[in-house]
Amino acid sequence: MASHSHNPGPLPARPGPFGARRTWLLAIALAALWAAHGLGVTLSGLVPSGSGLNILGEFLGASLSPAWDYEVVVPEGTVALPWKVLDALRRTLIFAASGLSLALLLGFPLGIVASTAWWKNHKGARGERFHLLKRWLNPTLFVGIRTGIALLRSIHEVLWAVLLLAALGLNSFSAVCAIALPFAGTFAKVFSDILDEAPRDSADVLRASGATEAQAFLFGLLPRALPDMAAYAFYRFECAVRSSAVLGFFGYPTLGYFIKLAFDNKRYHEVWSYLWSLIVLVFVLEAISGALRRRVVVR
Amino acid sequence: MSARGVNGASVSANSTSAARVQDLWRARPRSKLLRATCWSLGLWTLYAWFSPEIGLMDFLDGRRFSNLGRFVETELVPFPLRGEPLSLAALSTWVADIWNRIGMQSTLATLQISIIAIVIAGAAALPLSMFAARNLAASTPFENPSGREATWRRLFWTAISSSARALAILLRAVPEFILAFLLLAVLGPRNAWPAILALAMHNCGILARLGSEVVENLEPAPLRAMAAVGAPRRSLVVFGVLPLALGRNLLYFFYRFETCVREATVLGMLGVLSLGYWIQDARAKQYYDEVFLLVLFSVGVVLVADLVSVLARRSIRR
Repeated sequence: MASHSHNPGPLPARPGPFGARRTWLLAIALAALWAAHGLGVTLSGLVPSGSGLNILGEFLGASLSPAWDYEVVVPEGTVALPWKVLDALRRTLIFAASGLSLALLLGFPLGIVASTAWWKNHKGARGERFHLLKRWLNPTLFVGIRTGIALLRSIHEVLWAVLLLAALGLNSFSAVCAIALPFAGTFAKVFSDILDEAPRDSADVLRASGATEAQAFLFGLLPRALPDMAAYAFYRFECAVRSSAVLGFFGYPTLGYFIKLAFDNKRYHEVWSYLWSLIVLVFVLEAISGALRRRVVVR
Repeated sequence: MSARGVNGASVSANSTSAARVQDLWRARPRSKLLRATCWSLGLWTLYAWFSPEIGLMDFLDGRRFSNLGRFVETELVPFPLRGEPLSLAALSTWVADIWNRIGMQSTLATLQISIIAIVIAGAAALPLSMFAARNLAASTPFENPSGREATWRRLFWTAISSSARALAILLRAVPEFILAFLLLAVLGPRNAWPAILALAMHNCGILARLGSEVVENLEPAPLRAMAAVGAPRRSLVVFGVLPLALGRNLLYFFYRFETCVREATVLGMLGVLSLGYWIQDARAKQYYDEVFLLVLFSVGVVLVADLVSVLARRSIRR
């Protein structure tokens, strides 16, 4: 540090007028103009009609007074609203947890075989069997796996739900798979990126002291990547909760189902009971995953 | 990391290597929060699989797979090919017909909706992230020594940064789909604004949070120096924070753009003229071959957005 104060050296060259950032900012502005023109949106579309304004007023007016009891007469023996809201939350969390666990089960191995670190051959490493396995699973398969992962994650969970609903019917299987398939694709992609960016030092040391490649991968590389992977998985749980809530719009008994039902029947206070419970849930999950990230991920 | 690191005092100077390994194992960093979260999530997952809603036994019913087979073999087969031998000519006329009739226009609309949405989100998130950053929106920004520290000023700035954070949480906690559903009732159908606004609000919440973390993680020395020689907050933002934070913010912008395109497809199902509109239309008619083709179009547009996003991020990071 001290040497710097004596000899600061030449300053880094100033980027030209068309550096990467400026070029991309310009591209964004042009794309926005093209999009606004092509879509034909005007600011007048933002002004609600008379009935829309009424709905907006009533709906926002209800935001600070969520319902604690039903707004309409319900048949004898219906459970109290707070319990119904909690039950909707429970179901939302059930689909989120089972979908996410299945996604981890599929995405973790996929992520490992999709990482370049897994396919790289190291000079001087032992472990013939592992080499054979890799030669057998040749690079064409690597491209195939990557394509499959891209397909899995570029289809939105709702579109998966639409396809699976038609194929399997309205049941837990289609709901869980609708969450698990795209999330598995995302896990695979992010996990393979994390593995490729993880520090290689421990794996190199193990390899230099005679470990096989499988050992170097399992005990050298994987442990360096696991904290990041775990933090990401926790973050994705929050996303799974949101997706699970949205699947309710397609008939599954999660939050979205009750939100749609209450809104269509203009029971806005009840809508807010469900919305606030979702907001609080997301807030709590986010606080936990933020705290975990700060503890687990060493930077 | 916990205070008890690997090199902490609890590691005794034991001579045998086995005992040394054991000492290291005992002194490994541990987090109670991590354990508690793992346990509760694990138990909840176990409960979920065995709950009556999922019913593990019912889950793997053989009937399901025969249904799946029937769906793939009959309903997913493109209409002109049903009961006919595979002919590429018939297939390509079918694809071209759907592409020309609805595909091209709605794929473009999907892209346009997401571009407008992410630009609005980014533009709104930038100022919001400044107010949400705890080190900038403080009574003495970047803890510069010349700042005036009065209790009411501190409370004032804490209130500002907390409410900016609360606003960002409110915006991102509600999924785009639900936001669009609510906005559609207000703004009316066949109008792209409900989808644009829903995407913009949700992503604004996310970008504001990420942006405020960028500001909080900035190297404070140059900003502290600016503040110490008397730069007011607005010059700090314009000449210090913005140039330093722009790169990372652009990375996040393009990362969210990709998810925006994915989401814009689906929002059409509520009645906005993106790909989802025609997916819902074909679904109502039970034309599942058409649904599948439109889903493939959506894959195409998502992959294009993905490519743009990767290229942009690579060139910005360099």
